[in-house]
Amino acid sequence: MTPEIGHFALALALAMAIVQSVLPILGAARGNILWMQSAKWSSLGQVFFASIAFFALLQAFVTSDFTVKNVVENSHSLKPMLFKVAGSWGSHEGSLLLWVLILTVFGAAVSVFGSNIPDSLKARTLSVQAWISVGFITFMLFTSNPFDRVFPPPVDGQDLNPLLQDVGLAMHPPLLYFGYVGFSIVFSFAVAALIEGRVDAAWARWVRPWTLAAWLSLTAGIALGSWWAYYELGWGGWWFWDPVENVSFMPWLMGTALLHSAIVTEKRDAFKSWTILLAILTFSLSLLGTFIVRSGLLTSVHAFAVDPERGLYILGLLAVSIGGSLALFAWRAPVMEPGGIFKPISREAGLLINNLILATATGIVLFGTLYPLFYEALTDGQKLSVGPPFFNAAFIPIMLPLVFVMGIGPFLSWKRADLPGVLQRLRIVAVLTVLATLAVWYIVRGGPVLGYLSILLAIWLFMATLKEWTVRIKLFEVPFTESRRRAANLPRSVYGMTLAHTGLAVAMFGFIGSSVWKTEEIVFVQPGSQIEIAGFDVTFEGLERVRGPNYVADRGKLTVRQDGVFVTELFPESRYYPVAESNTTESAIRSTMAGDLYASIARPASEEAGAGGALTLRILYEPLVNFIWIGSAMLVLGGGLSLSDRRLRVGAPRRGAAKKISDSAQVPAE
Amino acid sequence: MIWLFFLLLSLFALTLMAMPLRGRFQIAAIPEDTTPAVLLDQLEEVKRDLDRGVISEAEAKAAEQEIKRRILMQSRKAETRRIATNTGGRIVLILGAVFVPLFAGGYYMTMGSPEIDSLAFADRTAEREEAAQIADLSSQLYERLVSDPDGGPSEGWMLLGQTYTRMGRFEDAAEAFKVVSERPEADSAVFSMLAEALIYAEQGVVTPPAEAAIDRAIAMNPGNPASVYYKAVALSQKGESLRGYDLLIERLDAADGFYPWMESLVAEANRIGDGIGKTPLSLADFAPTVNAPGPTADDIANAQDMSDDDRQAFILSMVARLADRLENEPDDLDGWMRLGNAYSVLGEAEAAITAYERAQELAADLGPPILQEIADALKRLRQ
Repeated sequence: MTPEIGHFALALALAMAIVQSVLPILGAARGNILWMQSAKWSSLGQVFFASIAFFALLQAFVTSDFTVKNVVENSHSLKPMLFKVAGSWGSHEGSLLLWVLILTVFGAAVSVFGSNIPDSLKARTLSVQAWISVGFITFMLFTSNPFDRVFPPPVDGQDLNPLLQDVGLAMHPPLLYFGYVGFSIVFSFAVAALIEGRVDAAWARWVRPWTLAAWLSLTAGIALGSWWAYYELGWGGWWFWDPVENVSFMPWLMGTALLHSAIVTEKRDAFKSWTILLAILTFSLSLLGTFIVRSGLLTSVHAFAVDPERGLYILGLLAVSIGGSLALFAWRAPVMEPGGIFKPISREAGLLINNLILATATGIVLFGTLYPLFYEALTDGQKLSVGPPFFNAAFIPIMLPLVFVMGIGPFLSWKRADLPGVLQRLRIVAVLTVLATLAVWYIVRGGPVLGYLSILLAIWLFMATLKEWTVRIKLFEVPFTESRRRAANLPRSVYGMTLAHTGLAVAMFGFIGSSVWKTEEIVFVQPGSQIEIAGFDVTFEGLERVRGPNYVADRGKLTVRQDGVFVTELFPESRYYPVAESNTTESAIRSTMAGDLYASIARPASEEAGAGGALTLRILYEPLVNFIWIGSAMLVLGGGLSLSDRRLRVGAPRRGAAKKISDSAQVPAE
Repeated sequence: MIWLFFLLLSLFALTLMAMPLRGRFQIAAIPEDTTPAVLLDQLEEVKRDLDRGVISEAEAKAAEQEIKRRILMQSRKAETRRIATNTGGRIVLILGAVFVPLFAGGYYMTMGSPEIDSLAFADRTAEREEAAQIADLSSQLYERLVSDPDGGPSEGWMLLGQTYTRMGRFEDAAEAFKVVSERPEADSAVFSMLAEALIYAEQGVVTPPAEAAIDRAIAMNPGNPASVYYKAVALSQKGESLRGYDLLIERLDAADGFYPWMESLVAEANRIGDGIGKTPLSLADFAPTVNAPGPTADDIANAQDMSDDDRQAFILSMVARLADRLENEPDDLDGWMRLGNAYSVLGEAEAAITAYERAQELAADLGPPILQEIADALKRLRQ
């Protein structure tokens, strides 16, 4: 009965979304208060009914109700409870339901918390949000219904892909979706503003918290996914430029640009078109990501063409929403009055460079992701892969200048800035950066020039951001107690920025260390085999068979010594899931701040290759890799701090920079 | 019960949608334009920053000037933008509210499956025990058969094959049938079952070994409906749809009465016919109306749209009519044969035996073929 209640509730949610997609926006146009107010109740109703549907599906997964087709296909009675729960959003249908639930949560949040938003804007925003709801719920009900039933039920389920049975991944999709879908509300705000024909400081202020919330969820989601890939896939990498990763990375890049662009709109009444366009593009990329992942296009363009129903539906949805919103943008954007004027050297200009670079970088990732798909479609099934070499060659050189500008940007004042003055302040930072890079070179030796250049820029960003903070609190310029008072008084959003920017620098240390100076050994081992890597002596002691709840595993035992001294033991596993008939590797990692010693074992693909019981052992040493997770956590924390700051900074000239630079250069001329 | 839940959910949805109508609603407390408020807040901020000494006097002044200028611009714009608000449109709102449960109900009526109850894995122990028991018995049977120095009796292998088929283990079923098919006593039915298992094991694709089995089955008994059916499937998969279609029609035409297997043959003929532009057929075209009263063409056309339960009832009523007729015409040998067959298909062994016994009396001087057939049927039923 519960699945049917879920099904019916979903139909009610769709009906409400249909009404909400029409009535409030008409109300806004005609000044009808009743119609506008209906959005509040229908958005609450949608979240209520979508929750019922979601919990009905969850219940079916928890009790292993195999009369529900989706449960049969994605669960098994022996699966650990946590993964039964996660299974409800691990499948295609379930993930769409989660998508819709989050979508309605954001809509209801705008209704409930948006008490300071004007009625007409709110009504229009909620109508646009309802359009998206209608699109996705119909997609679900007509092509991927999570409540399809089977009777009589099969004896047991077909299990969820064991690779996905992992705590990190259980949490990864909800966070990612929170990010993706969070941008939907920003998109709705943008479309509503275009319809309304105005974008102002107040609009930017309302949009900002939603953008921040979505951005930090997406950041956390991507970081978790990357962490999962690192320890679960058993290859020791944390980013593969895989299309699935790219499609989550693109909205992140655009979202980052949007976040900064919205600041300018809020403070300086400028960049209106930029902000609106970025809002539209960010969500469009989220939709594109959903399309690419959910249509089956990635597995094979050919398979997509054979069973195109789902894919064509999303493609249609994509065409309508992206095409429609961009057309609206083209039509309405010129109406918006240009805002504050600024000089080529100013905070605004810095953020403009930020927008441009991030948009270009997104374009590169988009090209690299879609090109193989088009190629396969046009050449009748020939596969082509665009891998790390392309992205490393195209993406990194674009992003490095951004890192350089990031160091300077926060020092620039609004409207016009004194570049020589700023550079003078940064002289000491530059000297320290070069010295630190030389020190790195002295210690490490070897490695490509690009590696050292990247390290240099990461150090630069780290130090410049810290310097900016010391300037704000006038460290060493005024008595220490005064500095401390200033530090305590700084708004949280300033700390958010400092934390996020240093976080990126910290993560960069991890990116660079673990990719440029990684060492790797792949060998066949037998009990007693010894491998030397990065100064460690690793002995393979042997193998034992262990049994888990729904798998059996070969667990290897490795003893690690350094200069003859015992360091640790590692237990990598190779698991076999009989129901799903697939293997996974569970790597064993010895983590230190200096780097990870990473081991994974696998049975060779063919038995002949493994004659004599030899296993493939993959051992890696990844320097500084933990900095990636620390840096990501700092980014998320920075976003959170900024989100918690309700205060609005003004478009005032640079504070704190006042002393050394003459007033005439500082004060904005009216 | 479930409809009560649907009703409650619908009522709740209706209430939510009608909320804006309740009594006196408050006129929006927020002014249409809140931008000045945001700007005023920015102004406050400048003052606070100045007090804390993070910006200089001159900077604060410039910033204030700019913000004030923007406030002025905003308020000028706001005056022109104000739209008259009204609170009409109640009818439309009510229509919208009513639309919600109606739409959901309409959708659910076509797409929902209210008849299927939820069934938690934990509540299905009995079913699992039964399945386990069958699996257990079949593996015991298998052990016995393979350990038999004579290779095990053919009946045993056939039983094993049929059990495996019901369990969905088609490859194992094919193995079991194959054992019998290699023996001299293998008849047409063995080969058609082998073919069926092979085809199911390949998800419906007729492989060369399966087709070989079909051909053997047809060679031994050209009228075997199962082998005709699979031969047609094989032909249509090879692109010879017309030949497959004709084969089915030919067999259906040859039928001398209504048999349950005719439904599948008609359905397959229609499926194949659909691809080559044949008009759809109905069972009534083949079930003979001779020896009326039998099922009329309409009856049979209706039967195709029936649910399983209805169809069962329909067949029962048809059998009852045949039995009634035979009360009046007790010398109709063909009728008694058909009645016996119908009862045995329906699982009513005693009634079937009575019918066959009557047929046996009538056929006493007709010679071995028909008598042998009757004797076989009786032997089967009395087991």
